[in-house]
Amino acid sequence: MSAFLPEYRFIIPLAAGIIGAALLLQPAIVYLDIIILLILISVFALTRTWHDRGFYLVCSSVPLMIGAGMMNLWAGMMVIWMVAGTLCTTLGLLASRQDLIHFIGFCGWVLIVTLLIEVSNHVLLPLLILAGSVVVVLAIQSVRAYQFRRYYSGAEQ
Amino acid sequence: MAVLLAGGALIAGILGQYILFDNQVRDIVASVSCQRSLSRNPVRKGISLQVTSRIAFHGSPRMHIIVEDLLPRETVLTEGNATITTKSDTTGQEFPLRYRIIPLIHGTLRFSGISVQARNLFFETTVQLRREADTGPALIVLPTGLFQAPETGSGEGTRDNRKVSVLSSVDIHSLREYQIGDDLRHVDWKTSAKFDKMYIRKYTAPISHPPLVIVDLPWCSASYPEKEFNRMISEVTGMVTHTLQTYQHISILFISGPNIVHLIRDEKNPARCIAELREWMHPAERPVHFYHMPDRTDLRFLVTNCEEAALEAKDPRIQGSLDLLRERYTGILQYQRNPAFAGQIARTLSQLLMTEAYLFTLGCGDTSHIRHVVRPLKNQQIRVNVRIIDDTRPDRSTRQDSFSVARGTSS
Repeated sequence: MSAFLPEYRFIIPLAAGIIGAALLLQPAIVYLDIIILLILISVFALTRTWHDRGFYLVCSSVPLMIGAGMMNLWAGMMVIWMVAGTLCTTLGLLASRQDLIHFIGFCGWVLIVTLLIEVSNHVLLPLLILAGSVVVVLAIQSVRAYQFRRYYSGAEQ
Repeated sequence: MAVLLAGGALIAGILGQYILFDNQVRDIVASVSCQRSLSRNPVRKGISLQVTSRIAFHGSPRMHIIVEDLLPRETVLTEGNATITTKSDTTGQEFPLRYRIIPLIHGTLRFSGISVQARNLFFETTVQLRREADTGPALIVLPTGLFQAPETGSGEGTRDNRKVSVLSSVDIHSLREYQIGDDLRHVDWKTSAKFDKMYIRKYTAPISHPPLVIVDLPWCSASYPEKEFNRMISEVTGMVTHTLQTYQHISILFISGPNIVHLIRDEKNPARCIAELREWMHPAERPVHFYHMPDRTDLRFLVTNCEEAALEAKDPRIQGSLDLLRERYTGILQYQRNPAFAGQIARTLSQLLMTEAYLFTLGCGDTSHIRHVVRPLKNQQIRVNVRIIDDTRPDRSTRQDSFSVARGTSS
């Protein structure tokens, strides 16, 4: 049995970061954050052999993301990074150099979103920007998928 | 704000995974190449053929790929597997597929393409490749004759009687139970009283059978005299029309060399008959060819002739030559079997009732197959009229009852 699993590289900094931020910032919901962290760690430990482990980890980590984000936005961002790292390691999505680049790209995207939310005074503007980006990406993907399938269906010959 | 951050991160994660998956699928699909080869082409409808496909593609990590060779429409997979399943990262590997299919319809059939199904932890998609390169080669399926036994006139609930009437030429063929709409004049009262059920008599009378029309179509891949062929079409059409008027039904057998193309059996509807003539009266593909192919009877005849001639010959050199010739014929006779065409013809003719047959042919190309048609007919005491439509040879009229190829067999 391996003493130090690859997932620990993310789950330990996550726990340390939450406890540190709670001690440093001392918000009103500090106990709630600690409880949610314990739930996440319990799920992490209990679902080790379950088939849908990724789904349970996501479900148990979303409250922690929100809780940490309410405590401090940068703490929320750190939780998202660490949870994403834990998930990717658990599901075997950090096996190659290419996977690491994709993970760093995701972290960069979360950083941009955090910055956007930080500089905005109201939720409407970042919400619109995020929703607009998603719609544009989906529209482009739809057109690409249509062209791709049309080409391979032999319609363009 | 925290909810927005968490939601944005989740959506970004899902969207990112989808874009990655989409790009991987594109790479996989772009790398797919397929080379198919058929064990036989063209092939007869209902005959099994082997397909060998070599499919190559690049896999992707954590991607479960299933590649399926899509069969042509209306074909049945009888043996082998047309699917490749890979779970690991395959880099440009070539996968051979061998399977057997049976085409159920005739015509030119192309393969339906290649189906690529890709699946990872989160997403699954199927892409069907139907470009011309993915659907080749075209499988040419030729029609085949009908070799089913004809239906008998008696069904359930009937009893054969064959009671000959003394007063008329009409006799009672069978009795069956009364059904609504039957003519009460045909009720057999005696039998009805005996069984306490109404029984109807079915009458029959001696009839003469219509002649069988056999049309020998030219080969579509060789030149043929179009003028004579058009004349043959008009003659066949005229004969069919006349026969239908006289006998109310007709059977037409289309052959093309030693290949049975189609059989119209006991057709009663003139419009449908003419429509079928229009459909089938054109040059046809010949998957099997004969070239001066004597049947076993001819070979035996030649051996006997050689023996007799050798006995009569006085010159030892001529005798030696005739002996050598006889040995050659005997050698051929030992190994030559009756062709499949002869069996098909025998099975087809066994379904039909006739006393006379007309064979229309252009007489172009090899005519060995005509022996194989004429001989079984003659064996059944059926009068055969071979009509060669050939204007170029004045010594052969278009209406003749004997044919040089079928010499000694036709009337």
